Amino acid sequence: MDQAVRSKRKKLTYSEKLVRFRARLRDPEWRRYGGLLLTGKAVGIGLVLLLMVGVPALMRVAPSVVVGTVHAQDSGAPAGEAAAAPAAEAAPASAAPAPDVKMTDTVNAVNTAWTLVAAFLVFGMQVGFTMLEAGFCRSRETVNVLMECVVDTCLCGILFYAWGFAFMFSHGNGLIGTHWFFLQDAPATYEATGVAFLAVWIFQFAFADTCSTITSGAMIGRTGFVGDLLYSVGVSGFIYPIIGHWAWGPDGFLATMGSDGNFLPSIGTGFHDFAGSTVVHTIGGFIALAGSIVLGPRLGRKFKRDGGGPMLPHDLTIAISGGLILWFGWYGFNPGSTLSAIDAEGIGRVAANTTLAACAGGLFAMLAAYIPSKKWDASFTTNGFLAGLVAITCPCYWVSPTGAIILGAVAGVLVYLGVELLEYLRIDDPIGAVPVHGFCGIWGTLSLGLFACGKYGATGPTGADNSAPLAGLFYGGGMTVLIAQIIGSAIITTATFVSAMILMKVVNATGTLRIDREGELNGLDVTEHGIAAYPEYVIAGWATPPGAGSGSNEK
Amino acid sequence: MKRIEAIVKPFKVDEVKEVLTSLGVAGMTVSEVRGFGRQKGHTEMYRGAEYRVDLIPKAKIDVIVPDERVSEIVTAITAAARTGTIGDGKIFVTPVDDAVRIRTGETGPQAL
Repeated sequence: MDQAVRSKRKKLTYSEKLVRFRARLRDPEWRRYGGLLLTGKAVGIGLVLLLMVGVPALMRVAPSVVVGTVHAQDSGAPAGEAAAAPAAEAAPASAAPAPDVKMTDTVNAVNTAWTLVAAFLVFGMQVGFTMLEAGFCRSRETVNVLMECVVDTCLCGILFYAWGFAFMFSHGNGLIGTHWFFLQDAPATYEATGVAFLAVWIFQFAFADTCSTITSGAMIGRTGFVGDLLYSVGVSGFIYPIIGHWAWGPDGFLATMGSDGNFLPSIGTGFHDFAGSTVVHTIGGFIALAGSIVLGPRLGRKFKRDGGGPMLPHDLTIAISGGLILWFGWYGFNPGSTLSAIDAEGIGRVAANTTLAACAGGLFAMLAAYIPSKKWDASFTTNGFLAGLVAITCPCYWVSPTGAIILGAVAGVLVYLGVELLEYLRIDDPIGAVPVHGFCGIWGTLSLGLFACGKYGATGPTGADNSAPLAGLFYGGGMTVLIAQIIGSAIITTATFVSAMILMKVVNATGTLRIDREGELNGLDVTEHGIAAYPEYVIAGWATPPGAGSGSNEK
Repeated sequence: MKRIEAIVKPFKVDEVKEVLTSLGVAGMTVSEVRGFGRQKGHTEMYRGAEYRVDLIPKAKIDVIVPDERVSEIVTAITAAARTGTIGDGKIFVTPVDDAVRIRTGETGPQAL
């Protein structure tokens, strides 16, 4: 080694550095170091290039089916069966031959613009989620909640681009899609909707992001950040797209159920989920439940049956404002799922139904909470209107406004009972994610079988097709739709919960899912993120009531 | 010199402040504190669960006054801070060894 340089220990000028460099060029040992360095860099660059070229090449399979072929399959379906028309937003109209819409049509531009506006609204729900979750948690874990929401969003975008959208919305088989990895070889428009492919991609990304954010809701306050990243990859990359394919994929086995050659042909109709009560909310809610169970409650959490209660929220202003922003975003979630502004009556009806269910849900949850406690609880009211929104998400296209009010009201009561149930089972769910999204998602899905009013069939790019309307039990349609909904909901709920439990247990086994005791008591903010949410203020441990405690008295 | 420490309900701070300034008290220190007395707090309700909240927010007003003014000021504070309901607070009087005005270095009662 160059002793003179080593012993100097003063800042060198550039010319001195140049001299040193030239000296090193002559030194054999330094030459070896330099050679190793450059070789290493070259290998690294080579590896990166290899991945960039090789992975897409490996993923690429035969080009996807042309739009025309899809039409031929569908117009061959027997008329009068709502089965062949999974009237979810992705599918063409049922018995009538699908119109041959081209990108040049004005209709496509209008529908694409509508879909994009809706996509932006649904993405706006992320703000609502961050505010809702941050408001209901304690100040010591607020930054962690915010970070998890933001990073889940970023991760979901990349995963949904890479293979999420492919698994969920491309053709393959009844269980999974096998085309369009990294969005390669995609057509200009999506199926027969006529909407630009990438516009549909971003719309569905926003839905996937919603599901991904719901899952973190019941896991607030004790989840390690790396564990959150790991399970988010599992959720956004695999559980949501694959299980979602069953209900929303063009050949998903639940969507095509009930007709010849498909799953359970004798049922008579497919599984319907207009905007995702099951696909987004039940899946999200039950993954949250699995996570909450595997994690266990926050330290110091005493449950009502043991004389304690939920831990106090640190900012109800943010929480409830966030809830209202979610409601606002829902106007993209539900009406946007038509993917068609030309079906004007449809989007108007969906928006109205969405509103009414939310109103009913909020009022009835407030009343349900008032009766035993004699207090008008703000958090239950918020959970109530959110529950109404979740419940209407599946049936919104097919119910009348009256039906929307009734099923929203039931959702409001259900969410109150659900929160009490989780409390009884000693599951710590700080924001009520499981009752709002999981339980009311199931209710919303089943309610289609009761409240479908028998007037509306399928949406479409050039207008509605009501030739094969859905009718529920209360409107003379018998048990057909209800049975299909029960089967679909049961399959998806079970599959979700089982796979989520496995995922959470696997992540837990790596030791990253739950944070250590010291970190949790000091708060996730300083432990994982290096800063408190409100650095100017002392975090008041006494803000939590004696029954809930700050956790420091835990042995 | 004596320190008069008055723990009062938070919404009474303005009234007490007004009374003190009208009596010519030159300065005071107000802080936000929590505590309880014989009633040990009250109950709150969140999501249907009842809680005993025993650390209730109060305001503490500290004034340092010359010995001869103590009873006058204590009476005035008591009158201003009283509402007649539980939780009105308490006043403590303790002796003060010395006071210093930092800017000038004066000590004793002149520093008040």
